Amino acid sequence: MIQAANRLTPYLFLAPAALVMIVALLYPILYMVYASFLDWNPSQRIGEADWVGIRNYVNLWSDPFFRESMWVTLRFAAVVVTLEMLLGVGLAMLLDRRLRGMAVLRTIFILPMMIAPIVVGLIWKYMYHPQVGIFNRWLKSWGFDTAPFLSDGTWAFWSVVVADIWQWTPFIFILSLAALQSLPQSALEAAKVDGATGWQTVLHIKLPLMLPVLIVTCLLRLIDSFKVLEVILVMTNGGPGLSTEILSLRISRTASEFRELGEAAAMSNYLLIILTILTLTMYLYSKAQEIRSARLRIAAEGES
Amino acid sequence: MTTMKTTMLVTALTLPAAAIAQDVPAPYLPYQDVTLVVNFPAHPHYDAAIEVLDQFTEETGIAVEVDQLEYLRMRERQTLELTQDEGDYDLIAYVVFSKADYVYADQLHNLARFFMNPALADPDYDAADLIDGYVQNIGVAGGDQGYLPGPTGSLFGIPFGSETSVLGYRTDIFEKHGLDVPETYDELLELACLIPELEPGMGGLASRAASGHQASHAFLLHLNPLGGAIFDEAWEPTMNNAEGVAAAEALKTIVDCGIDGSTTFGPSEAAAAFAQGQYGMFLDSIAFAAGFEDETQSTVAGDVGWALHPMGVERASQTGGFGLAIPRNSPNPEAAFLLMQWLTSKEGDLAVAMEGGNPSRFSTYQNEELNALYPYSATFGEALEYAAPDWRPIIPTWGEINADLGTTLSQILTEDLDIQEGLDGVAERTRATMEEAGYYTWQ
Repeated sequence: MIQAANRLTPYLFLAPAALVMIVALLYPILYMVYASFLDWNPSQRIGEADWVGIRNYVNLWSDPFFRESMWVTLRFAAVVVTLEMLLGVGLAMLLDRRLRGMAVLRTIFILPMMIAPIVVGLIWKYMYHPQVGIFNRWLKSWGFDTAPFLSDGTWAFWSVVVADIWQWTPFIFILSLAALQSLPQSALEAAKVDGATGWQTVLHIKLPLMLPVLIVTCLLRLIDSFKVLEVILVMTNGGPGLSTEILSLRISRTASEFRELGEAAAMSNYLLIILTILTLTMYLYSKAQEIRSARLRIAAEGES
Repeated sequence: MTTMKTTMLVTALTLPAAAIAQDVPAPYLPYQDVTLVVNFPAHPHYDAAIEVLDQFTEETGIAVEVDQLEYLRMRERQTLELTQDEGDYDLIAYVVFSKADYVYADQLHNLARFFMNPALADPDYDAADLIDGYVQNIGVAGGDQGYLPGPTGSLFGIPFGSETSVLGYRTDIFEKHGLDVPETYDELLELACLIPELEPGMGGLASRAASGHQASHAFLLHLNPLGGAIFDEAWEPTMNNAEGVAAAEALKTIVDCGIDGSTTFGPSEAAAAFAQGQYGMFLDSIAFAAGFEDETQSTVAGDVGWALHPMGVERASQTGGFGLAIPRNSPNPEAAFLLMQWLTSKEGDLAVAMEGGNPSRFSTYQNEELNALYPYSATFGEALEYAAPDWRPIIPTWGEINADLGTTLSQILTEDLDIQEGLDGVAERTRATMEEAGYYTWQ
């Protein structure tokens, strides 16, 4: 009896905090799920809104603007995360050296991610400006035509991609560098002794050992890139046409401009479902890779 | 209360009560203890209005606290505020398309109950002097089409900070090349593309064109004068008929004859480009006029002339901007009415206009003192004779239709989407939206 009470005591102490956490985390999500089944506009209290079941979810698939914004979001996320991972990991590999001034260089590299997204949007908007922007001034001074950075759909998409890469590659760089610097030296030295080239060491030792960190980093960036809003809002406001209308912007517009809170909640839930699937997939993959890396690490340490 | 700028005007509270009681006109006496809370947008007109509020407090003994917010934030704040049982705001400024949402949700007082009250209504108010197009567009709901005046219509707001469209042009450029000020759309479009030829590097007509609301606004600016409309009387979409196509073609011509990047212009960018001498003409709201004459912001100060919005098949300038209304949950509706009446009276309107606000009365535009200070005022007053109250529908579904129209127009301007095909798509989707909202229930 006393043993059972002892076993329960820690749970009793934890219960209030856990309860608060669960309520604080789940309540807004449940509220959003409930709202997605309503025909609710901001002039009504939620209790006055009509219950419409899954109508909002079904109707969205016949809305060409929603479908397009979903497609833009998927393309944007795939492009930025791929390029940021390649650049961030590549830079980390290059700068993982003990050279003079490297600390300063690393600090400079991480500055962009410390700037507020609204400011990043403004900075790039003015750099892309057709008359006073630095890029078009360069192009003109070299005798080229100006480029429609933000006034043509294709150019605008890649212009916002570049801004996002500029801001978030440092995030991947930092985590990759930390992962690189925590690799077991024994494994690297063993590879060296075995005559592995630099490229072989990267491919067969460093990257496999860094994989768990890279997966988490990639996941975090993927989640963020699906939710990106401010930079695009400031730079293009989703245009020209629908070329940069990402899902977050569509959700915000549906809620505030169209005053369709139920539909906006349904869109948010679609986003939540996509992100949950991505997170779970990557979590499971990461777990499997962690086990594999642990085995590799043990094997490497055993050999040394 | 989160505010961008909050101004407390407490002149009356600092004056001795006896002095107030002696000087204050009788209608204001019952409200000496009241501090009105008003919600205004961050907008030059309302900056001007705030400048005269201390005069109101001095004359009436009623203190006023201003919660001034960026206009989209103001709208969000009001959306939440107006659903409460007990509100914080006594008087609100609302942007014109909020009229549909607020009236439909029964969140504004019908002003008849105040104008019928002899203790509140000033017999010298002279409502006939208020600019009719503004009153119809911003103030009245429940009549024709639901959002216009008519036998069943009522007054829910008074225009305050309203705007119409006028044509600004560079007098120096026009004189240099012997150009005539365009009076018709044909002349306007011809000049829009002639100016870049005469002045290489300069655009013809600065216009909004950015995806969404801005492109839609620019299209609507041409739609009415060219004889078009968004709907017919049975709510069938008509933006894709010959007049709609002509309006979209006009917009495309104007943008194509503009400078690089003009497809991303909102009103500020278009106005800035004109103010920096990059355009020969500017067709938009009167609200930008003062900025063009400000030498600290404009390189064309002293070289800007003004003319009426050119005529298509008819003369029709836009109506928009803000109005004042009393929320149903206002804690002090009677005192709020007194402030609204004071601000929009002949004296109040002139006082705000002298501080740089947009007049809401014909008499203000005719005022000699104002014309001496702002020489373009007479032209603006004339333009308001043609202000079209029905230049865009003010209905709850407008936000969605406006976004669709503006996005499609952006595709027409930037991706060479065929005009007829693009507008047909908008019409089809608009019909579906209207059907879902119940507009064809009686058909």
